[in-house]
Amino acid sequence: MLDRWLGRRIHLAFLLPGMVLYGLFMVYPLASSLGYSLFEWDGLIREGFAGLRNFRTVLFEPPYSVRFVGALKHNVLFFAMTFAIQSTLGLFFALMFRQKRRGFGFFQAAYFLPYTLSLVVVGFLWLLLLNPLWGGFNQLLRLVGLGKWAQPWLGQTRTALVSIILINAWRWLGFPILVFLAGLQAIPAELEEAARVDGANAWQTLRHVTLPLLAPVMGMVTILTFIYDFNAFELVFVMQGSNGGPAYSTDLLGTFFYRTAFGDSTTGGEPGQIGIASAIAVLMLVMVAAVSWAGIRLLQGRQVEY
Amino acid sequence: MASSSRRALAMALVITALMLAVLPAGTGVAAKTTLTFWSWRTEDQAAYEEFIRAFQASHPDIEVRFVPYRNTEYNTILATALQAGSGPDIIQLRAYGGMEPLANAGYLMPLDDKVQALEGFSREVLGGARSIRDGRIYGVPFAVQTVQILYNRRIFDQLGLREPQTWQEFLDLAGKVRNAGYIAFANGSKEGWTMETFFGAVAPNFYGGTPFYEDVVSGRTTFEDPRFIHALRKMLELKPHLPPGFEGIAYTDMQAMFAQEMAAMWMAGSYELGTMKFMNPDLKIDAFLVPPERAGDPVWHTMYVDGSYGINASTAHPEEALAFVRWLATREYGQMFTDRLEQMSAVPGTVPSSPTLAKLADLMRRHGTPYLMLTAFRYDQPSGSTLLQNTLQALFIGEMTVEQVAREIQQGLARWYKPFQGR
Amino acid sequence: MATRRLWDVLLYGFLTAMAVVFVAPLALMVVTAFKSTREIFMNPFGLPASWSLEPFARVWSRANFSVYFRNSVWVTGASLVLVLTCASMASYAIARLPFRGRQWVYLFFLAGIMVPIRLGILPLFLLMKQLHLLNTHWALIFTYAASGMPMSVFLLTGFLRSLPGELREAARIDGCTEFQAFWKVMLPLVRPALATVAIVNFVPWWNDMFFPLLFIQSDRLKTIPLGMTIFFGQYQTDWGLLFAGMVLASLPLVALYLAMSRQFIAGLTAGAVKG
Repeated sequence: MLDRWLGRRIHLAFLLPGMVLYGLFMVYPLASSLGYSLFEWDGLIREGFAGLRNFRTVLFEPPYSVRFVGALKHNVLFFAMTFAIQSTLGLFFALMFRQKRRGFGFFQAAYFLPYTLSLVVVGFLWLLLLNPLWGGFNQLLRLVGLGKWAQPWLGQTRTALVSIILINAWRWLGFPILVFLAGLQAIPAELEEAARVDGANAWQTLRHVTLPLLAPVMGMVTILTFIYDFNAFELVFVMQGSNGGPAYSTDLLGTFFYRTAFGDSTTGGEPGQIGIASAIAVLMLVMVAAVSWAGIRLLQGRQVEY
Repeated sequence: MASSSRRALAMALVITALMLAVLPAGTGVAAKTTLTFWSWRTEDQAAYEEFIRAFQASHPDIEVRFVPYRNTEYNTILATALQAGSGPDIIQLRAYGGMEPLANAGYLMPLDDKVQALEGFSREVLGGARSIRDGRIYGVPFAVQTVQILYNRRIFDQLGLREPQTWQEFLDLAGKVRNAGYIAFANGSKEGWTMETFFGAVAPNFYGGTPFYEDVVSGRTTFEDPRFIHALRKMLELKPHLPPGFEGIAYTDMQAMFAQEMAAMWMAGSYELGTMKFMNPDLKIDAFLVPPERAGDPVWHTMYVDGSYGINASTAHPEEALAFVRWLATREYGQMFTDRLEQMSAVPGTVPSSPTLAKLADLMRRHGTPYLMLTAFRYDQPSGSTLLQNTLQALFIGEMTVEQVAREIQQGLARWYKPFQGR
Repeated sequence: MATRRLWDVLLYGFLTAMAVVFVAPLALMVVTAFKSTREIFMNPFGLPASWSLEPFARVWSRANFSVYFRNSVWVTGASLVLVLTCASMASYAIARLPFRGRQWVYLFFLAGIMVPIRLGILPLFLLMKQLHLLNTHWALIFTYAASGMPMSVFLLTGFLRSLPGELREAARIDGCTEFQAFWKVMLPLVRPALATVAIVNFVPWWNDMFFPLLFIQSDRLKTIPLGMTIFFGQYQTDWGLLFAGMVLASLPLVALYLAMSRQFIAGLTAGAVKG
């Protein structure tokens, strides 16, 4: 009898381990965050129900609101710059490498190399390279006569964040190049040839045939980039500390969340503020999910069939 | 057919069960009596290993493992570990408000009834290890530190300079140092806490030392007091004498600059004496207090208890931990500490080893004032130190005015500091 | 045709310049690892005085590197096995077994792609504490495997769906149980997809510092990224040691990449393009 019941529901057996794993260790904690954010906390001890109080604190009460808005702006800049770089430079390289000319395989491998490094190593390496006194980068500038551009890149509020974004792009670019290239290779050559036969030049072919066909892949990569950039944390943590210094100019939502959740490390053993941190997490969750969802819908709507 | 479904289900259950079965697996076991001892003093590792060897000479059955972490991340790592239930046995604790949350959360063992030697420590020194909530002592204080100008005697002699007596002399001296091709102050602003040190060295003369401290702590005045703002302005007068690119200069860079004799002066803590000797044994260090506006005006010397050695309340080896901590409260250890590390031991009756340290101890006795934010304003969030550090960074980068700095500090503290509320 | 040549020269020139940008810092890192701290300050760009491997030996012993390496291998490997097992079984069900609510289960897993597990760190931390898993490798393994489920299910479902249904029917008619059909027939056919899943997950897990930072306190349990971060903090004034440490920390993945770059690339791109 059990057998017959099971026979029709064999799918349960297959689903069970995955559902338990995913449900317990991913869904449950994320859902709990919402729960946590609705209470007051004293260290690790949950106190009374607080309703939306924690959200009000994060959104409207300084210093949290100021940090939140600041971090959000920095994340937006982070994504915008990364998107710009990979959609221009990254795309350019992918288009080049598609031609499979001599040496291109080497270039492709070289550009991807930094991606294999952990962000910790990338952070420390560039921290040392950008040291204003002894770092190789400024010394190189002086060597080639650009000495007046040598400055404390990571110590000035106007250059610190941009430097970190560029360092991140340095490490990251290999990935979009690779994926764009694969996407390009999936486009049947006949379509582009047909366009050429019809009299289109290279640029027109690119604009009206190739790129629209590549759009789904580019869209997917953009969404992945957005999710990744929205959660950026390690680089700033390693290079500037969990405070996102100097003067909070490199503070990201990730470091803001970490600091609020686990204490501000620079001074005393300040405890984390679990309620407020959970509210930040929920807000971040909502933002990421909303934008990703919108992105996916947009992609589906504009898919070009062929 | 039917039994195969059962088999598949069984298979799935086995996999799931295996997964869940490891859940109670838990952590590894500790075999013998080894105590872990966490600290933020990576610079002192070799010294502590010597101290531990001395301890083990009289306690051969207890092993102690010293594990230092980078000072900027130590607090978070410690707090997380304690919350996780897997912290160290012996904990180097921060002082005052840095220790308070840990004590309140019950992570620390109260020591006032267990370590008799504590009775001999001065009340002021014990204040760094006392919880303000229950008044109990949670650690054996280990060092008292001061903040001042450290200088390179060789460079001063070479340039014919002497310790300045007025503020203007001080500025002129800095200019002369720079003209001779040296860096005046090995200071930078990339790491916020080093700006608090800068503040501790320069500001007290200008905000009025202990009288101001008492005023602001009691709530009689606020941080928007003109005295405080005046002190911030004075700090800014040193900005031209900071090294080029100071915004990107981090703590280790400062240590290297001073040790390698690229810089003549350094606004630094007394704990640097030992480290500098290690990094450059030939370095001749001396120290002076920042001079007042006019000769003869009061001078102040920022001082504070650096921290204490505490015991994890849930340690598996309370007796052994107590044995070690009791030894850390002896004069024998205190003297070893001050001789080896060239820091002022908090243990009563110890004698400073080097002339420079003796000089600092003497200056502290005569002009000591509490380290403003560290002592009184770290008991909640946002701490006075966090506010001060970040606003000073902004001030020196040019993003904030001194009035804005003062207001931000005041408003941040007013969120939790009762004497400021209702003003 | 001259313009063609000019264009080529410019192109290759630009590509080479970019290659320098990408590779030079790494090359500098490796060369600097052979120098002493003093040498680094005095002669930052020149060749080292000696090419002895002594700095690396020092890092290896001082930083307990062999332990970190072993831990990274174990944690990443176990997480991969776990996610491959759970995800392939779940994907098989979604892709090939007819049952009501199939779409909902699929969406349930998929939703996780957009949502980073990090944001649930506080409840996750407390959950691990309640389960007594803090300061054990299992905390990492379960976290990684769980976070890998959404993307892995997505990829595997896509591949499994693309297989002809007749295969399964044929297997069942031949007397195979459902599980045998899964194991012996379908799974081997999606081996490339399994490789993709492995590679897509492997790199971020190997390099992760965030979860070990919070879950692991004992030195003997640390993985490479965490161990090296602590190490960098401890020896922050010893630049020679720092660079040697960075090289050692990067060596495993870089070596793997250089040896298997084609498979790497195939794995990563197959996944993303399938979307």
